[in-house]
Amino acid sequence: MTSIDATAARPGRPRAAMRRGVLDRFTDSTAIWPVLVAATALYLIAFVGYPVLYTIIMSLQEVSVGNLRSLSRPWVGFDNYTRLFADPLFPLVLRNTVLFVGLNVVLQCAGGLAVALFFQQRFPGASFLRGLVLAGWILPPLVIGAVWKWLLASDNGVLNYALASLGHIAKPVYWLSDPATSLLAVTMANVWFGLPFNMILLAAGLAGIPRELYEAAAIDGAGPVRRFLSVTLPLLRPTLYALVALSTIYTMRAFDLIWTMTHGGPVDSSNIFPVWSYKLSFEVFDFSGGAAISTLMLAVVFVVAVAYLRSVRAEQSL
Amino acid sequence: MDQLLSTPKRWMLTALGLAIAGCYLFPVYWMYASSLKPSFELNASPPTLVPHAPTFAAYAWIFTRENMARYMGNSLVIASAVTALSLVLATGAAYALSRVRSFWMDAVLVGIMLSQVLPPALLATPMFVIFRQIDLINTQTAVVLATTTKTLPFAVVMLRTTFAQIPVELEEAARVDGCTRLSAFLRITLPVARIGYIVVGTLVFLLAYGEFVYPVSLVNKNELQPATVGLYGFVGADYSDWGNAMAFASVVVTPVILVFVLLQRRIVSGLTAGAIK
Repeated sequence: MTSIDATAARPGRPRAAMRRGVLDRFTDSTAIWPVLVAATALYLIAFVGYPVLYTIIMSLQEVSVGNLRSLSRPWVGFDNYTRLFADPLFPLVLRNTVLFVGLNVVLQCAGGLAVALFFQQRFPGASFLRGLVLAGWILPPLVIGAVWKWLLASDNGVLNYALASLGHIAKPVYWLSDPATSLLAVTMANVWFGLPFNMILLAAGLAGIPRELYEAAAIDGAGPVRRFLSVTLPLLRPTLYALVALSTIYTMRAFDLIWTMTHGGPVDSSNIFPVWSYKLSFEVFDFSGGAAISTLMLAVVFVVAVAYLRSVRAEQSL
Repeated sequence: MDQLLSTPKRWMLTALGLAIAGCYLFPVYWMYASSLKPSFELNASPPTLVPHAPTFAAYAWIFTRENMARYMGNSLVIASAVTALSLVLATGAAYALSRVRSFWMDAVLVGIMLSQVLPPALLATPMFVIFRQIDLINTQTAVVLATTTKTLPFAVVMLRTTFAQIPVELEEAARVDGCTRLSAFLRITLPVARIGYIVVGTLVFLLAYGEFVYPVSLVNKNELQPATVGLYGFVGADYSDWGNAMAFASVVVTPVILVFVLLQRRIVSGLTAGAIK
């Protein structure tokens, strides 16, 4: 597009050409591009890059309320990490995190696929009804946490009432205050929250599968199950890979929901790494411990995101 | 094969679809229904599906006793500032990234995308310490600056898609007619992109409006907090006053639902495009 610079010489209108000041000459040159990018880049370096670096540094230091303001703090090497690895809470939080992320990814993808397949059928109102289902995903997580906490309330919660009247339970389930069910409870709420996003991306993926393939498969005698396994799933594979990565990343953001519903409790039964990191920093003021957990989790998110971007770009360059 | 479906079967699918959407949206309905029930009905067993004696008492309570209006005002101020800052900062980068392809531009784009995925709960610790050091703790400025880290990459990616859809030939024609690059952008590209700006601005606003981690960790003065933190004050405890809490949640969420209904199609297509690319 620099070829357009030919317009700079326009002998017919000398007056206008004279008005071209330094600014116009600058914006018309290729030097403008890095400058345009700079505002965003500098902002993100200052308010994302620097905090990330700062987390790593703090995780290698001894940070207390006393030296919070100063920049020179005692270096302790990997002491914070070894201390946390030895913490009896570590295996529990690791188990919770793996379970929570795993369950969410599987249930959101499977549920999203089921709903997407259903609404892909042509019936009156299909796209309108599908649009309604999307509403859940634009709501603030805090509101979702609040509403689910009320749905799951042990005494007057509507879920307990429904289960009891269907005869599934004899006495109320203490969803959020029983360590055996709290992780399941926050998982339900987060699946509800994440399902529409998965559904709409899968719907886009499904729409991209040529109809002729289904027709050809049908002519060859393939039933609906066979068509799903041999046509839909293989062609949906790139979308599914992308979704596994994206839902892993988004599930790490479930802090708001868990914080509202259970605070990571009771007795850390729904505590996952982001919650633990936050609790270390803001409840016991162990900033270096919080920073160490953050560093580990940021590394995980980073690796998943890089893998995702690589796969997307590889696909696009094909 | 869809064509093989008979009319009655199609309507059965519609009924089933209605049931699925109804089940899915039940929590939202239950929030509104609960907010309108008086407390004896709220705790009645069996629960009533439709409020028998609807009352706005809970709404009156949260506005008169719980500073609902102040929380909403703070949310509005913070989310508006985040939206303005994000759109202004994102415009240049999004435009450059849509018009130039080079190794460096690709590297910048990847960097922007990576900064988008970092969860606020993990960045809260360094943000707190850094804002403490520059004496911005307990200010809404800190919340705006921190929240923009989440919305700015999103705005860049989405606006880039918007600009990429505008044919470069439009600008070239303007340049041939004597426009500078700046005036071609301001007079041709920007007006064409205005729908994109409305959608991206709305989404950025909603993201900032729903943000919870940064305000709750960077500010400890109630009078500066947005509505999300106000809602947390209601439901964070073990026991909650559910009628008032659901009224509070309803007030917080109603503007979001209205915006969603108005812009649904554009939001959905915009978000999916932003997420995949």
